[in-house]
Amino acid sequence: MSRLSLVQWINTNAVAFGSVLQIGDSNQVILRSKAIALQRQYEFFDTRELPMTFPVFTKPIPKPNFDDEPMVFHKLNECPTISVRSIRTLGISSSSAVHIGSTKLVQTEVRIKHIRQLAEKGEKDASHRRAD
Amino acid sequence: MNFTVINHDVHVGHIHIIGVTSSSLVLVGDSETIQLASAFDTPPESLIIGPFAPIVVTDEGSKK
Repeated sequence: MSRLSLVQWINTNAVAFGSVLQIGDSNQVILRSKAIALQRQYEFFDTRELPMTFPVFTKPIPKPNFDDEPMVFHKLNECPTISVRSIRTLGISSSSAVHIGSTKLVQTEVRIKHIRQLAEKGEKDASHRRAD
Repeated sequence: MNFTVINHDVHVGHIHIIGVTSSSLVLVGDSETIQLASAFDTPPESLIIGPFAPIVVTDEGSKK
């Protein structure tokens, strides 16, 4: 028997980019997201510019094995509840989860490529290069 | 391996979180398995200081 989760008050401003705010029990939560975070000195954006071909998006991420050793798990719930009076979060983002209730499996993965582009000294405005 | 857990009372007042990001989890409850993975790539080459032109990437993932 799993425990009961009691949360009296929750306030969240934003849930974005493959994230979840789950109220209630679940069986599986599996979240995946990929992002190119491009910071530029001047405003210029083109969706055709950067395909998702960077190695960070394809390289396998090694995961720890938990099945290597057989485990006998005993759980004794002396108190059947977990109680929280209030939760306040500003943002839940990029394959993240806030989960109130019990679950069996949570599996998340995020891959981020971060690029910064600055103009050379003397180059002031790139607006003439802006895409249509 | 034998693993025994005894759950006593859990009473929490207020939880204040600014952000839950990049494969993170806030769980009020029980779980059997949790696997969270995050890959963040920002090598020195990803700081580009030069003529302000669109970035062209070849199929192999290298910038030109």
